[in-house]
Amino acid sequence: MKQFVLAGLFAGAVALPAMADYTIIAPANPGGGWDQTARTMQTVMQEDGISPSVQVQNVPGAGGTIGLAQFASQNSGNDQALIVGGFVMVGAILTNNSPVSLKDVTPIARLTGEYEAVVVPAASPIQDMKGLIEALKVDPGAVSWAGGSAGGTDHIAVGLIAKAAGVDPTKINYIAYSGGGEALAAILGNQVTAGVSSLGEFDAQVKAGTLRLLAVSAPERIAGVEAPTLKESGLDVELQNWRMVAAAPGLNDEQKAKVAADIEKMVKSENWQKQLADKGWSDTYLAGADFEAQLAKDEAATATVLKDIGLVK
Amino acid sequence: MGAFDFLLQGLATAAEPMMLLYALIGVTLGTAVGVLPGIGPALTVALLLPVTYRLDAAGSLIMFAGIYYGGMYGGSTTSILLNTPGESASIITALEGNKMARKGRGGPALATAAIGSFIAGLIATLLLAFLAPWIVKVALVFGPREYFALMVLAFVTVSAAFGDSALRGLTSLFLGLALACVGIDQLTGQARLEFGVPVLLDGIEVTTMAVAMFAVGEALFIAGQRIHIDDELTAVKGSIWMSASDWARSWKPWLRGTFIGFPIGAMPAGGAEIGTFLSYATEKKLSKHPEEFGHGAIEGVAGPEAANNASAAGTLVPLLTLGLPTSATAAIMLAGFQQFGLQPGPLLFATNPTLVWGLIASLLIANFMLLVLNLPLIGLWVKLLTVPKPWLYAGILLFATLGTIGANPSTFELGMLLGFGVLGYGMRLFGYPIAPIVVGLILGPMAEQHLRRALSISQGDWGYLVQSPIAAVLLGIAALALIVPLILRARGKGEMLSQLAGDED
Amino acid sequence: MSVTRFDPPRRRDPAALIIAAGLAVVAGVMLWDSARLADLGGYSGVGPASVPRVVAFGLLGLSVWTAIEALRGDFPQRPRQAPAPVLWIVAGLSAQMMLLHVAGFSIATGILFAFTARAFGKTNLAMTIPLGIGFAFVVWTIFSQLLMLNLPAGPLEHLIFPGA
Repeated sequence: MKQFVLAGLFAGAVALPAMADYTIIAPANPGGGWDQTARTMQTVMQEDGISPSVQVQNVPGAGGTIGLAQFASQNSGNDQALIVGGFVMVGAILTNNSPVSLKDVTPIARLTGEYEAVVVPAASPIQDMKGLIEALKVDPGAVSWAGGSAGGTDHIAVGLIAKAAGVDPTKINYIAYSGGGEALAAILGNQVTAGVSSLGEFDAQVKAGTLRLLAVSAPERIAGVEAPTLKESGLDVELQNWRMVAAAPGLNDEQKAKVAADIEKMVKSENWQKQLADKGWSDTYLAGADFEAQLAKDEAATATVLKDIGLVK
Repeated sequence: MGAFDFLLQGLATAAEPMMLLYALIGVTLGTAVGVLPGIGPALTVALLLPVTYRLDAAGSLIMFAGIYYGGMYGGSTTSILLNTPGESASIITALEGNKMARKGRGGPALATAAIGSFIAGLIATLLLAFLAPWIVKVALVFGPREYFALMVLAFVTVSAAFGDSALRGLTSLFLGLALACVGIDQLTGQARLEFGVPVLLDGIEVTTMAVAMFAVGEALFIAGQRIHIDDELTAVKGSIWMSASDWARSWKPWLRGTFIGFPIGAMPAGGAEIGTFLSYATEKKLSKHPEEFGHGAIEGVAGPEAANNASAAGTLVPLLTLGLPTSATAAIMLAGFQQFGLQPGPLLFATNPTLVWGLIASLLIANFMLLVLNLPLIGLWVKLLTVPKPWLYAGILLFATLGTIGANPSTFELGMLLGFGVLGYGMRLFGYPIAPIVVGLILGPMAEQHLRRALSISQGDWGYLVQSPIAAVLLGIAALALIVPLILRARGKGEMLSQLAGDED
Repeated sequence: MSVTRFDPPRRRDPAALIIAAGLAVVAGVMLWDSARLADLGGYSGVGPASVPRVVAFGLLGLSVWTAIEALRGDFPQRPRQAPAPVLWIVAGLSAQMMLLHVAGFSIATGILFAFTARAFGKTNLAMTIPLGIGFAFVVWTIFSQLLMLNLPAGPLEHLIFPGA
């Protein structure tokens, strides 16, 4: 306790000149995935001496686009400012007609990611993905899907599944919940036909036998998960809900390299790996040109599917 | 080992002197941050969680429990003394609590809040420990239509806070509902009433609105009443402790509040505020002194405060048994648990009994330390009211803006604080009640979303709403609560009118 | 209430009429806004525009009711208010809002503190402004340095904590 107080005092007073004092924007309320990612980065960077003092600032709202807009406009050229973001932001930028996009910041690296899972309650008559798709083809309105916010990853996944199955994506009966937790409760309580969310949200319930896992959105089977991929089920859908870190716009190559090096150091640390394991996140670190290519691909695919669902004109 | 042995073992560990000290530090820190208007328990826990990382597992668990309970409790102190609720769950506390404080009964108000919180925390934690798996089964039966029915019932209870004019109460409520429409529609992602301002996309922050309406509006109103400048509030009149009649009037509301708050907290989409609304309306209905409501009735503090704390423990039911974080606070707690290697979920009680029972023992001890810390402090808190008004209100506005800035340091948010503060001032001036507008802002989106989800599932069939027995019963109670007083009032008015007619003769 | 009800001369209440007009304007804005929303009701039949419309019609009804009470003079008497202290506090909040990101938390909030005290009768700003800034700085130090709350720093904060 005392140590913490003193550390806090000195961190402000005796900043070493060579190291950056990062400020990380978490463009969401405390408690969500982006906030937790930012606070985990804060812990690791401070404990491993990558940065003597890291502050996390929450700028919540509109799928992260409010935080993104504020970040891009206030920090041009500042190599000590970081923002956490992810796949949800890609969709939110489109649905909210956000004037600021990921092109207005400097994406550094993808940090973690989760695949989407399709589940039904254990009591459901539907046994596999094939059964669910058949029901969807008979009457799309009778198949209600619970998932996260409208236009988010879960909604996009349902749209992609419907499209791959040859069902009109505008006809899906998607019930948006404000968070994974509320959606999970609706599925467990047999209120809806099926549920879509990241695999981690459902994992414990699937193991306990209260939910039946039908498929995951990974490119190939995940070790330790007894479910086929969507591709194996005959649906050409692959989707990762990733989280990333980006730096401010207007950085020169040297500044960008320095930030990228700090992030790489953090990702490679034992501490970061332990934190990921504790939280059940998988390390999907991807940086540089590879990450930029991936990002461009995701942006194009998301724009198409949001148009198909009818959320973006 | 049975559940009880695990609990005793956990209690023995948590009662060691060092552990008690950690619990005390946690409770103190939690209260200190939670007491700030605008900083709710979620942000408090998020800010203070890293403090616990420095300790070993048992120590950090107990300090964490202390921070959680401290953060939950902190808001009620400022609600009662300064009429500035720190978060949405303590708005109702301000209604009666602040009236009591103004009459010099701040001591008993704080005491009934503290003891009520303790008793509710104690009972609710024990219910959590022994009945969680069963309670959660009941909670899961609640789907969108049952929640919608619950929201309708909560709406009816708002009328308990209408004051003396139905017109002004309804106007306040509808203004709240109108403000609730601002922002992205949850179900379709469309922006409503945002006028091209991106910050409005996320809607109006309830805490900003509550702090503005209560703290800023109140400061403006008091400042405008020049005459009061030199007279002091009666800080203490009579004993600062609860009298025998205070006890007699408090214990039933404590218990009722606990049993209203706990199940609602356990429901995945319940929310702590709903429990406080229902408890307030119940106490007003059942009280032998209904005329005191609105003027400082102790039942109106005891019940909602107990409901608030019980629902905080209730939130842990879905969190521990299903791994379901149902509120922002719970989501942060989940992150905290994972730090201790605790994976909440259906198998938790089976796979990790030592840690779970350690947590429950920590919660019990933290709850106790909260009482130990707060009862002696009451005398000190009440002294706050003897601070001369210029410094008192300057301090209130300093801390109110600190809370808003700390949660989101944006100029726009401060602008909203000022704008709603002026609105709150105007409403006070014309005799509009403040609580309904805030309640409308909280309940509006919940009711709308649950209704639309229910209708989506039924593909537009309105009959679906009453086809579940629970929903039908809840709607029935709401209808009775609305209609019966109207009939009684109509009769009463008739009598009064005939009396008046008689007088004029 | 009953006191005002039996006051013999019932007069029209212009302020209450303005409130009624204000409510009608809010309702009008809501109806206008809901008209441009796409009808995405989907299977529920209740779309994003439905609830704002219901609320708007409710407000219209209340506006009419308010106007009737205003014409009948049924509104309660308003407490006497002095405008100057109210304006001092509004000025203090505005000053804080505008100075926050320029001058930092302590200076901006110190001015709010002093202006509020001014509203309640402490007229010596030369004394209360430094006092307020000092107090706000202590608060800033505790919350931003010890509890890691993100509060804007300005020249004063940078002077004493160069890293902040």
